Formats: sequence, C-alpha cells, structure tokens
Amino acid sequence: MFRVILATQWKWTRGALLIATCAAFALPLLSIRNASTALEEMNARDLLAIMNTIGMAYGLTAGSIGLVIAAMAWTPDHAGRHVYALALPLARWKYVAMRFAAGALTLTAPVIALWIGGVVAIASIQIPAGLHSHAAALTIRFALATLVAYATFFAISSGTKRTAGLILSTLAGALILELVGEALNLPLRPFFLFVDFVMNWSGTLGVFNGPWMLIDV
Amino acid sequence: MTHLPSLHMLDRIDARNPTPLYAQIASRMRLAIAAGELTAGDGLPSVRQLAARLRINPATVVQAYRALEAEGFVEMRHGAGTFVHDVAPGKKAHERKTAARRLIRELLTEGGRMGISPQELAAVLRDELNGGSQ
Amino acid sequence: MTDAIRMRALCYRAGSHFDISDLSLTVPAGAVYGFLGPNGSGKTTTIRLLLGLLRARHGEIEVLGRSIPRDVAATLARIGYVPERPHIYPSLTVAEAMRFHAAFHARWDGAWAAELAATFLLRGDARVGTLSKGEMGKLMMLLALAQRPELLVLDEPTDGLDPVVRRDMLESVLGYVAEHGATVFISSHLVHELERICDWVGVMDRGRLVAELPMQLFKDGIKRVRITGATAEVSGAPFVLLKRERGQGTAEEWIVRGWKAGMESYIEGSGAVVREVIDLDLEDGFVEMLRAARVPQAKEA
Repeated sequence: MFRVILATQWKWTRGALLIATCAAFALPLLSIRNASTALEEMNARDLLAIMNTIGMAYGLTAGSIGLVIAAMAWTPDHAGRHVYALALPLARWKYVAMRFAAGALTLTAPVIALWIGGVVAIASIQIPAGLHSHAAALTIRFALATLVAYATFFAISSGTKRTAGLILSTLAGALILELVGEALNLPLRPFFLFVDFVMNWSGTLGVFNGPWMLIDV
Repeated sequence: MTHLPSLHMLDRIDARNPTPLYAQIASRMRLAIAAGELTAGDGLPSVRQLAARLRINPATVVQAYRALEAEGFVEMRHGAGTFVHDVAPGKKAHERKTAARRLIRELLTEGGRMGISPQELAAVLRDELNGGSQ
Repeated sequence: MTDAIRMRALCYRAGSHFDISDLSLTVPAGAVYGFLGPNGSGKTTTIRLLLGLLRARHGEIEVLGRSIPRDVAATLARIGYVPERPHIYPSLTVAEAMRFHAAFHARWDGAWAAELAATFLLRGDARVGTLSKGEMGKLMMLLALAQRPELLVLDEPTDGLDPVVRRDMLESVLGYVAEHGATVFISSHLVHELERICDWVGVMDRGRLVAELPMQLFKDGIKRVRITGATAEVSGAPFVLLKRERGQGTAEEWIVRGWKAGMESYIEGSGAVVREVIDLDLEDGFVEMLRAARVPQAKEA
C-alpha cells in the first residue's frame, strides 16, 4: 500500500521537488558567490556578517519547501472531498500516516542537495583562519526545519478545506493587521506575538530561529 | 454446445408484461423445444450468459430453468449447464397446443376490445388460411 | 448472515430540505435491491451512511454482519462502491488508478481487471481526468468489480450515460452476480432499468422509506381499477388506495397498491361494480405511489 501512495506522492510533487532540489543545491553556492569580495580579502568579520544575512534565505527556503510539498500532497484528496480515501478499506489514521511518511521521504532529495551544494561550495574556496565550515550542521538544521514546516502544513491541510482555509486566513489576517499597525504606528503586533509565542514555547519551531551559518567560528 | 439462436428469440422478454419474467422465459424455451428449434441434448445458454445478455437478474434465469426442469423439459447438470431433455412428441404437441390456445385467447380479447366479433375473426382466419385475398 | 444490509431507526440531519428519520431498511444477502426514489429523496445520503462516510445521529447500521461505523475499515474491503460523482484522482492514468486500487484490496483479480478494461475499451495510458463521462463510469465499475466484493453499492451508476455504456455496465454487474452470488444495492431513478434486474425494491421519498417489498409483488400489486357506483367513503380496504379519479357519471378510476386477485369482491360488497383491472406500468405506479405519499388525502381513510 505504501508503495502506491509513494508513487502518487511522487507523481504529484515531482515538479516542485525538482525546483526545491535545485534551489537547495544552489543556495550554498550563491552564499559563497555573494561573499566573494570578503573571501578574496580574507575578511573574517565581513564574511560572518554576510553569512548571517544570507542565513535567512535558508530558513525561508526550508519553510517554503515544507509548505508546498505538504499542500500538494493533499490537493488531489481535497478536490475529491476525500471520498476516495475514506472509502478505502483502511483506518483513516493509517492512510494519513502513510501520506505523511511518503512526503517526508521525498524531502530527502532537497536536503541531500543542500548538503552536496554546501560541500561543493566549501571545497571551491579558502576559509579565513579561525573560521570553520558547518555544511553538515547547516544541512541538519535545514532538514529539521523542512520537516517541521512540512508537518505543520500537512496537519493543517489534512483537515477539510474549510478548516485549512480558516487557519490560514486567520494567520494572514493577523499578518495584515500587523503590517497595518506598523504603517500607522499603532501598537498592533498580533502576528509577531503569535510567531514569537509559537517559536519559543514549542521548542520545535525554534529550529527556525537559530543561526543559519555555512561558515562560522 | 450452446444454441445461440435461442438467445435472440428471447429479445421480446418484456418487463412491463404482467407475466413474471421467469415465466416468459420458461414458456418461450418450452415452445422452442416443442417446435423443434431446440433438440434433445442441446445446451441452453448459461445463467451468466443469459442474465447478462437480457440484462435481468440471474435469479430469474435460475427460476426459469428450474421451472423447465420441474416440467421435464430440461435437466440442470451441476457444473456443466442446462440441457434439453428428450421430450416425448405427445408432450411437445400438448405444449404447442397450449401456446396456440394462448395466442387465440389473446386475439379474441384484443378483437373484443376493438369491437371485432369472434365470428368476424374466424371468417378472416379462414380466408387467410385459404391463401388470403388482400 | 442472512442480510447484507440492515438499517434500524436511522436518524440523520441531511440539510435544509429534509431529515432522515427512523429509516429501517433490509437488503437480503444475494438480492439485487433497487433503491428507487426521485432526486433529492435521500438515496445518496443513505448510501453514504451505510459506507461510514457519514455518521448517523441515532440508529444502527449493519453491513455484511459488521457494525458500521465501528468495523468500517475491514468491511469496506468487501464492498465495491461506485459513487454518484467520480472520486478517483484525476491526475492518475487508468493503469495507475487500477494499480492504486489493487494495492488496497486483497481479493483484486488482475486478470479480470485487464479483461474488463479491454471490454470497456479503456486505455491504460489515458489520464483519468480526460475520460468521458461514460468511460469514467466504466472505470469506477471496473475498480468496484475487480475487487471481487461480496456487496456492490451502486449510486446512480448509469445516470446520464448512453444506452451502450449502460448495457455494458449492467452486463458486467449481472455476469459477476451470476458467478459469485454477490448482493447488489443499486440506487436509481431510472425505473425501467431496475425493473428487469431487481428482485427487491425500496422506495425512498423525502428521507423516508415509503415501501420495501419484492419486486414482483410491487409490480403485481399496482393496478388501475375502473369502477362504477363506488361509495364516497372507502374504509377498511385490503388494498391501499393511492388515487381516485372521477370520470363520467358514477364511473371512477382508482389507482391502488397491494392488489391481489379476488379483491373485486370487497368493492362489489359495497354495491359498486368493477369494470376492469388493468396492470400499471411500473413507472406509472411508482409515480402515483409517490404522489400519494405526499398528499395525505389520497390515502385511504
């Protein structure tokens, strides 16, 4: 059973996975490219600053990949109102678990691509003294972040379209409110408060918070 | 060996007719045997074949075949199918006569509905049998 | 197990149109049960309830001897379901859809599935989303049959399909039933089609089961009776008076249900004369029965 679920999962997400894999591979190389001046000059301080700035891109990419793959995993079921899956002779939780596992399995592609990209990027340059490469650690953080984002959006999407829509539109509403508040200089920070709370209270989402440094001390 | 011609003769089976479907099938088969269209040893279509072909409930076909078996026209051999029995000529003649009587009765009833008397019907029948005028 | 489906005192809130209340329905094992009723009468809802896709508020459901929704996952393996609207993932090809379905059903007959695909003229590499309505119907029937189920639940399987496709589908269903003795629960508003294949009939109207009886009794029992000199009041009749139409003079035409031979004597006992008893077309009888079910005055006092 898992095999056919994996096969359909692959069929539905292979386009997005390809893009994700390329992006993940390119990210470390782009980081290095961005820091080319600092590397030429062997300027450790500038290098660290650039790595820090670019670090955000890793987090964003991880989150996006997780979101997209999770959403695409459920779109065909949503379209049919889950009737087919519910009419299959197996417990709902087993079906959901297999879908989750299948999606998680496909995410190894961009994760491995990131690691390879990191290794290739590091191999092509000379790191200033006192600094070290953290390609492996970065990959692990990336993997965890992708998984967490995937799990979160998977959970949201596995419900009815209505529930999923409700949750996402509430988040969007909070974000808009915050932007408006910022523009009008009002003390409205609902989105920030929510994110802050979630990130710090649940250690899992804290994985997005940490440093995304390819090269660090 | 299944007689495929016997399938098309059943195309007239009418679900709207008050006579139950199984009875319609049974009487048509009986007549086919009586008229010599089906001879002793011939195989009737399988239940599956006939049910699918006529798009009727297989249980109806089984009921028809059982009725025919009870009357001694066929025998159902488990696993092999249903086969025409060796029916005595007298029995066949009786069946033909019964069918003819049924036809005549229908004719008389229908004629009555249309306002044609039995005498008029008989006269036209004699005429037709003598070659017919028009 | 003598009953393939048993529903007792089922209650469900379907929406603004009607409720399903106190629905009790029995489908004997091995029967071909026609579930008749106009559109919107609750047939699809009832089917969804018996498959565990919806949860009833009260009542019991037992399918193939197992309680629904408690044992639904195991029971669904033995049920072949063809829904009203296609439910297969449109992005899969026909071959992929068959492989997917096969993986979940232990009794899948691959050889027969291939045979059916050939009979139904379904190409393996065609995307499900591009199939015509008829092809989609045939594919869903293929999946339900190749599973080799004990019970087939068909929700308006031939609705909107051309006669050739309808014939192909019915032939394959009946062939399967003949060979494997499966039970069929088929809902439709196409009375003529069901007339030939069903040995039981259940009539649904606005969330209620209005009648449930063997098809032959249903067909036999509905008659048009021409009467003269009937009394104004009809009470205690052994049949159900569905409709009463006055004609010329004292002539009347009654549409009755549950008529048996010899009931003329009841009418003649009240001084009336029975001129004729005419068999009613199943479709007409069905229509009259529904009309009567909706207008209280038409029923016998």
